[in-house]
Amino acid sequence: MDLDLARQAQAGDESAFAEIVRRYSPRVFSVASRFFRQRPLVEEAAQEVFLKAYTQLGSFEGRGSLEGWLTRIATNTCLNMVRGAKRRPELTVSDLTEDEQGWLEQQSAGDGGEPASVETTVVATDLADRLLSVLSPEDQQTLLMIDGEQASIKEVAEATGWSESKVKVRAFRARRKVREAMEKLLSYKRA
Amino acid sequence: MKDKHITEILDNTSIAMLSESELNEIRVHAMECMSCRDAFEAARLSAVIIKSRVEATIEPSPFFQTRVMAALREQQAVESVPAMLRLWRSAKALVSTMAVTTAALAVVSFIQPSQTTPVIDQTASAYSAYSVIMDQDADDQMSYEQVLSTIYEDDDDVR
Repeated sequence: MDLDLARQAQAGDESAFAEIVRRYSPRVFSVASRFFRQRPLVEEAAQEVFLKAYTQLGSFEGRGSLEGWLTRIATNTCLNMVRGAKRRPELTVSDLTEDEQGWLEQQSAGDGGEPASVETTVVATDLADRLLSVLSPEDQQTLLMIDGEQASIKEVAEATGWSESKVKVRAFRARRKVREAMEKLLSYKRA
Repeated sequence: MKDKHITEILDNTSIAMLSESELNEIRVHAMECMSCRDAFEAARLSAVIIKSRVEATIEPSPFFQTRVMAALREQQAVESVPAMLRLWRSAKALVSTMAVTTAALAVVSFIQPSQTTPVIDQTASAYSAYSVIMDQDADDQMSYEQVLSTIYEDDDDVR
Protein backbone atom coordinates (compact mmCIF):
# COMPACT_ATOMS: atom_id res chain seq x y z
CA MET A 1 0.00 0.00 0.00
CA ASP A 2 2.69 2.43 1.11
CA LEU A 3 5.01 1.22 -1.62
CA ASP A 4 2.30 1.59 -4.27
CA LEU A 5 1.58 5.12 -3.12
CA ALA A 6 5.28 5.95 -3.19
CA ARG A 7 5.71 4.49 -6.68
CA GLN A 8 2.70 6.39 -8.01
CA ALA A 9 4.01 9.62 -6.53
CA GLN A 10 7.44 8.93 -7.96
CA ALA A 11 5.86 8.38 -11.40
CA GLY A 12 4.48 11.91 -11.21
CA ASP A 13 1.01 11.25 -9.79
CA GLU A 14 0.39 14.44 -7.83
CA SER A 15 -2.68 13.11 -6.08
CA ALA A 16 -0.64 10.20 -4.72
CA PHE A 17 1.93 12.55 -3.25
CA ALA A 18 -0.84 14.79 -1.87
CA GLU A 19 -2.23 11.71 -0.15
CA ILE A 20 1.18 10.99 1.38
CA VAL A 21 1.32 14.57 2.69
CA ARG A 22 -2.21 14.36 4.05
CA ARG A 23 -1.68 11.01 5.70
CA TYR A 24 1.71 11.60 7.28
CA SER A 25 1.85 15.32 8.02
CA PRO A 26 0.63 14.78 11.63
CA ARG A 27 3.60 12.47 12.22
CA VAL A 28 6.07 14.87 10.56
CA PHE A 29 4.64 17.78 12.56
CA SER A 30 4.99 15.74 15.74
CA VAL A 31 8.69 15.20 15.01
CA ALA A 32 9.27 18.84 14.04
CA SER A 33 7.45 20.00 17.20
CA ARG A 34 10.10 18.28 19.30
CA PHE A 35 12.66 20.60 17.73
CA PHE A 36 10.69 23.84 17.35
CA ARG A 37 8.03 25.60 19.38
CA GLN A 38 6.86 28.23 16.85
CA ARG A 39 4.35 27.19 14.19
CA PRO A 40 6.15 28.91 11.25
CA LEU A 41 9.35 27.00 12.01
CA VAL A 42 7.51 23.71 12.40
CA GLU A 43 5.69 24.25 9.09
CA GLU A 44 8.88 25.25 7.31
CA ALA A 45 10.64 22.13 8.60
CA ALA A 46 7.70 19.89 7.68
CA GLN A 47 7.57 21.33 4.16
CA GLU A 48 11.28 20.77 3.76
CA VAL A 49 10.80 17.17 4.88
CA PHE A 50 8.13 16.47 2.24
CA LEU A 51 10.10 18.15 -0.55
CA LYS A 52 13.12 16.09 0.40
CA ALA A 53 10.99 12.97 0.60
CA TYR A 54 9.64 13.61 -2.91
CA THR A 55 13.12 13.76 -4.41
CA GLN A 56 14.13 10.61 -2.50
CA LEU A 57 11.03 8.52 -3.20
CA GLY A 58 13.10 6.18 -5.34
CA SER A 59 15.13 5.16 -2.30
CA PHE A 60 12.03 3.95 -0.43
CA GLU A 61 12.04 0.21 -0.97
CA GLY A 62 9.01 -0.62 1.14
CA ARG A 63 10.93 -2.75 3.61
CA GLY A 64 9.78 -0.57 6.49
CA SER A 65 6.74 1.68 6.74
CA LEU A 66 6.47 4.94 4.86
CA GLU A 67 5.81 6.60 8.21
CA GLY A 68 9.09 5.27 9.62
CA TRP A 69 10.94 6.38 6.48
CA LEU A 70 9.44 9.88 6.73
CA THR A 71 10.18 10.02 10.47
CA ARG A 72 13.81 9.38 9.70
CA ILE A 73 13.92 12.10 7.05
CA ALA A 74 12.11 14.45 9.44
CA THR A 75 14.49 13.74 12.32
CA ASN A 76 17.60 14.24 10.21
CA THR A 77 16.23 17.34 8.46
CA CYS A 78 15.32 18.97 11.78
CA LEU A 79 18.64 17.96 13.35
CA ASN A 80 20.43 19.65 10.46
CA MET A 81 18.31 22.75 10.97
CA VAL A 82 19.06 23.05 14.70
CA ARG A 83 22.72 22.02 14.54
CA GLY A 84 24.87 24.95 15.48
CA ALA A 85 22.23 26.29 17.83
CA LYS A 86 23.84 27.75 20.90
CA ARG A 87 24.11 25.45 23.89
CA ARG A 88 24.01 26.65 27.46
CA PRO A 89 27.07 25.49 29.39
CA GLU A 90 25.12 25.73 32.64
CA LEU A 91 21.67 26.69 33.82
CA THR A 92 21.26 28.76 36.97
CA VAL A 93 18.14 29.78 38.83
CA SER A 94 18.70 33.40 37.76
CA ASP A 95 18.06 32.26 34.16
CA LEU A 96 14.53 31.26 35.12
CA THR A 97 11.49 33.50 35.05
CA GLU A 98 9.43 34.04 38.20
CA ASP A 99 6.74 31.73 36.83
CA GLU A 100 9.29 29.01 36.23
CA GLN A 101 10.73 29.38 39.70
CA GLY A 102 7.21 29.29 41.11
CA TRP A 103 6.44 26.16 39.13
CA LEU A 104 9.55 24.44 40.49
CA GLU A 105 8.64 25.40 44.06
CA GLN A 106 5.10 24.24 43.64
CA GLN A 107 6.13 20.95 42.09
CA SER A 108 8.86 20.15 44.58
CA ALA A 109 6.56 20.98 47.49
CA GLY A 110 3.60 19.10 46.05
CA ASP A 111 2.92 15.45 45.53
CA GLY A 112 4.38 15.37 42.02
CA GLY A 113 1.08 15.63 40.23
CA GLU A 114 1.09 16.73 36.58
CA PRO A 115 0.69 20.42 35.69
CA ALA A 116 -3.01 21.14 35.67
CA SER A 117 -3.77 24.33 33.77
CA VAL A 118 -2.75 25.55 30.33
CA GLU A 119 -0.62 28.26 31.96
CA THR A 120 1.35 25.82 34.09
CA THR A 121 1.82 23.56 31.08
CA VAL A 122 3.30 26.48 29.12
CA VAL A 123 5.61 27.28 32.04
CA ALA A 124 6.68 23.64 32.27
CA THR A 125 7.32 23.57 28.51
CA ASP A 126 9.42 26.73 28.71
CA LEU A 127 11.33 25.24 31.60
CA ALA A 128 11.87 22.06 29.61
CA ASP A 129 13.39 24.08 26.76
CA ARG A 130 15.75 25.81 29.18
CA LEU A 131 16.73 22.58 30.82
CA LEU A 132 17.23 20.78 27.52
CA SER A 133 19.40 23.61 26.23
CA VAL A 134 22.30 22.18 28.24
CA LEU A 135 22.26 19.20 25.85
CA SER A 136 23.33 18.78 22.25
CA PRO A 137 20.41 18.61 19.75
CA GLU A 138 21.05 14.88 19.32
CA ASP A 139 20.92 14.19 23.08
CA GLN A 140 17.81 16.36 23.41
CA GLN A 141 15.99 14.32 20.78
CA THR A 142 17.03 11.04 22.30
CA LEU A 143 15.70 12.09 25.69
CA LEU A 144 12.47 13.54 24.33
CA MET A 145 11.76 10.41 22.31
CA ILE A 146 12.61 7.88 25.01
CA ASP A 147 11.48 9.64 28.18
CA GLY A 148 8.83 11.84 26.62
CA GLU A 149 7.27 9.65 23.96
CA GLN A 150 8.25 6.34 25.56
CA ALA A 151 9.93 5.24 22.34
CA SER A 152 12.13 2.17 22.53
CA ILE A 153 15.89 2.25 21.92
CA LYS A 154 15.27 0.41 18.65
CA GLU A 155 12.69 2.95 17.50
CA VAL A 156 15.06 5.83 18.20
CA ALA A 157 17.84 3.99 16.36
CA GLU A 158 15.56 3.53 13.35
CA ALA A 159 14.40 7.14 13.39
CA THR A 160 17.89 8.58 13.61
CA GLY A 161 20.04 6.01 11.85
CA TRP A 162 22.28 5.65 14.91
CA SER A 163 23.27 2.32 16.39
CA GLU A 164 21.30 1.09 19.42
CA SER A 165 24.38 1.32 21.66
CA LYS A 166 24.84 4.93 20.59
CA VAL A 167 21.23 5.69 21.46
CA LYS A 168 21.69 4.06 24.89
CA VAL A 169 24.80 6.12 25.59
CA ARG A 170 23.07 9.32 24.47
CA ALA A 171 20.00 8.61 26.60
CA PHE A 172 22.09 7.83 29.70
CA ARG A 173 24.24 10.93 29.22
CA ALA A 174 21.26 13.19 28.54
CA ARG A 175 19.29 11.92 31.53
CA ARG A 176 22.25 12.42 33.85
CA LYS A 177 22.97 15.93 32.57
CA VAL A 178 19.37 17.03 32.87
CA ARG A 179 19.01 15.49 36.34
CA GLU A 180 22.20 17.21 37.51
CA ALA A 181 21.06 20.54 36.06
CA MET A 182 17.72 20.17 37.81
CA GLU A 183 19.42 19.19 41.09
CA LYS A 184 21.48 22.35 40.84
CA LEU A 185 18.38 24.48 40.29
CA LEU A 186 16.65 22.88 43.25
CA SER A 187 19.69 23.37 45.49
CA TYR A 188 19.78 27.09 44.50
CA LYS A 189 16.12 27.35 45.44
CA ARG A 190 16.72 25.71 48.80
CA ALA A 191 19.73 27.97 49.51
CA MET B 1 21.16 0.28 48.18
CA LYS B 2 24.20 2.38 47.56
CA ASP B 3 24.02 6.01 46.50
CA LYS B 4 25.71 5.23 43.20
CA HIS B 5 23.19 2.52 42.55
CA ILE B 6 20.26 4.94 42.85
CA THR B 7 21.67 7.47 40.42
CA GLU B 8 22.59 4.68 38.02
CA ILE B 9 19.02 3.43 38.02
CA LEU B 10 17.74 6.97 37.50
CA ASP B 11 20.14 7.65 34.63
CA ASN B 12 19.70 4.28 32.97
CA THR B 13 15.92 4.22 32.75
CA SER B 14 13.13 6.69 32.33
CA ILE B 15 11.21 7.08 35.58
CA ALA B 16 8.03 6.28 33.69
CA MET B 17 9.50 2.89 32.80
CA LEU B 18 10.42 1.93 36.36
CA SER B 19 8.30 -0.72 37.97
CA GLU B 20 6.35 0.02 41.14
CA SER B 21 8.67 -2.20 43.18
CA GLU B 22 11.73 -0.35 41.85
CA LEU B 23 10.11 2.98 42.68
CA ASN B 24 9.28 1.80 46.20
CA GLU B 25 12.83 0.61 46.69
CA ILE B 26 14.12 4.02 45.60
CA ARG B 27 11.64 5.87 47.85
CA VAL B 28 12.61 3.83 50.89
CA HIS B 29 16.28 4.46 50.26
CA ALA B 30 15.69 8.15 49.55
CA MET B 31 14.08 8.61 52.96
CA GLU B 32 17.39 7.72 54.60
CA CYS B 33 19.81 9.22 52.10
CA MET B 34 19.70 12.98 51.47
CA SER B 35 21.71 12.98 48.22
CA CYS B 36 19.62 10.17 46.74
CA ARG B 37 16.46 12.00 47.73
CA ASP B 38 17.66 15.11 45.86
CA ALA B 39 18.63 13.02 42.83
CA PHE B 40 15.26 11.28 42.80
CA GLU B 41 13.38 14.56 43.17
CA ALA B 42 15.37 16.11 40.31
CA ALA B 43 14.77 13.08 38.08
CA ARG B 44 11.05 13.13 38.87
CA LEU B 45 10.68 16.83 38.04
CA SER B 46 12.77 16.44 34.88
CA ALA B 47 10.46 13.63 33.75
CA VAL B 48 7.40 15.83 34.36
CA ILE B 49 8.69 18.75 32.31
CA ILE B 50 9.99 16.52 29.50
CA LYS B 51 6.52 15.00 29.24
CA SER B 52 5.04 18.52 29.10
CA ARG B 53 7.48 19.43 26.33
CA VAL B 54 6.55 16.43 24.22
CA GLU B 55 2.84 17.12 24.66
CA ALA B 56 3.27 20.60 23.19
CA THR B 57 2.77 19.32 19.65
CA ILE B 58 1.70 21.60 16.80
CA GLU B 59 -0.93 20.14 14.48
CA PRO B 60 -0.76 20.69 10.71
CA SER B 61 -3.01 23.48 9.44
CA PRO B 62 -5.72 22.64 6.85
CA PHE B 63 -3.71 24.51 4.22
CA PHE B 64 -0.48 22.65 4.77
CA GLN B 65 -1.11 20.09 2.04
CA THR B 66 -1.86 22.88 -0.48
CA ARG B 67 1.27 24.71 0.60
CA VAL B 68 3.48 21.66 0.08
CA MET B 69 1.96 20.89 -3.31
CA ALA B 70 2.48 24.51 -4.41
CA ALA B 71 6.09 24.41 -3.24
CA LEU B 72 6.57 21.14 -5.09
CA ARG B 73 5.19 22.58 -8.34
CA GLU B 74 7.41 25.61 -7.95
CA GLN B 75 10.42 23.37 -7.43
CA GLN B 76 9.52 21.29 -10.48
CA ALA B 77 9.07 24.42 -12.58
CA VAL B 78 12.52 25.60 -11.59
CA GLU B 79 14.04 22.21 -12.37
CA SER B 80 12.29 21.93 -15.76
CA VAL B 81 13.96 25.09 -17.09
CA PRO B 82 17.25 24.29 -18.90
CA ALA B 83 20.36 25.05 -16.92
CA MET B 84 21.61 27.65 -19.40
CA LEU B 85 18.31 29.50 -19.26
CA ARG B 86 18.35 29.43 -15.45
CA LEU B 87 21.91 30.74 -15.57
CA TRP B 88 20.84 33.48 -17.96
CA ARG B 89 17.86 34.41 -15.75
CA SER B 90 20.01 34.71 -12.69
CA ALA B 91 22.77 36.54 -14.54
CA LYS B 92 20.46 38.80 -16.55
CA ALA B 93 20.71 41.74 -14.19
CA LEU B 94 24.47 41.47 -14.04
CA VAL B 95 24.82 41.22 -17.82
CA SER B 96 22.49 44.21 -18.34
CA THR B 97 24.53 46.28 -15.91
CA MET B 98 27.73 45.26 -17.67
CA ALA B 99 26.26 46.19 -21.06
CA VAL B 100 25.21 49.62 -19.83
CA THR B 101 28.64 50.17 -18.29
CA THR B 102 30.35 49.11 -21.52
CA ALA B 103 28.15 51.48 -23.53
CA ALA B 104 28.93 54.31 -21.14
CA LEU B 105 32.65 53.58 -21.42
CA ALA B 106 32.36 53.52 -25.19
CA VAL B 107 30.69 56.92 -25.16
CA VAL B 108 33.41 58.30 -22.94
CA SER B 109 36.16 56.77 -25.08
CA PHE B 110 34.89 57.64 -28.58
CA ILE B 111 32.54 60.60 -28.31
CA GLN B 112 34.65 62.63 -25.93
CA PRO B 113 37.85 62.54 -28.02
CA SER B 114 35.86 63.67 -31.10
CA GLN B 115 34.82 66.69 -29.10
CA THR B 116 38.45 67.53 -28.42
CA THR B 117 39.42 66.99 -32.05
CA PRO B 118 38.02 70.33 -33.20
CA VAL B 119 40.22 71.99 -30.64
CA ILE B 120 43.21 70.22 -32.08
CA ASP B 121 41.95 71.03 -35.55
CA GLN B 122 41.53 74.59 -34.58
CA THR B 123 45.08 74.63 -33.35
CA ALA B 124 46.19 72.85 -36.46
CA SER B 125 44.24 75.19 -38.63
CA ALA B 126 45.71 78.06 -36.69
CA TYR B 127 49.14 76.74 -37.51
CA SER B 128 48.03 76.11 -41.06
CA ALA B 129 46.69 79.56 -41.38
CA TYR B 130 49.94 80.91 -40.09
CA SER B 131 51.97 78.77 -42.44
CA VAL B 132 49.63 79.54 -45.29
CA ILE B 133 50.03 83.20 -44.53
CA MET B 134 53.73 82.77 -44.31
CA ASP B 135 53.78 80.66 -47.46
CA GLN B 136 51.44 82.97 -49.18
CA ASP B 137 53.70 85.83 -48.21
CA ALA B 138 56.65 84.01 -49.67
CA ASP B 139 54.79 82.86 -52.75
CA ASP B 140 52.95 86.09 -53.39
CA GLN B 141 55.64 88.50 -52.54
CA MET B 142 58.83 86.79 -53.62
CA SER B 143 59.69 84.49 -56.48
CA TYR B 144 62.69 82.18 -56.37
CA GLU B 145 64.82 84.66 -58.30
CA GLN B 146 63.73 87.45 -56.06
CA VAL B 147 64.77 85.46 -53.01
CA LEU B 148 68.18 84.78 -54.55
CA SER B 149 68.71 88.38 -55.54
CA THR B 150 67.67 89.48 -52.09
CA ILE B 151 70.20 87.16 -50.55
CA TYR B 152 72.95 88.28 -52.88
CA GLU B 153 72.00 91.88 -52.38
CA ASP B 154 72.39 91.34 -48.68
CA ASP B 155 75.80 89.79 -49.32
CA ASP B 156 76.81 92.75 -51.44
CA ASP B 157 75.74 95.11 -48.75
CA VAL B 158 77.88 93.25 -46.29
CA ARG B 159 80.88 93.45 -48.59
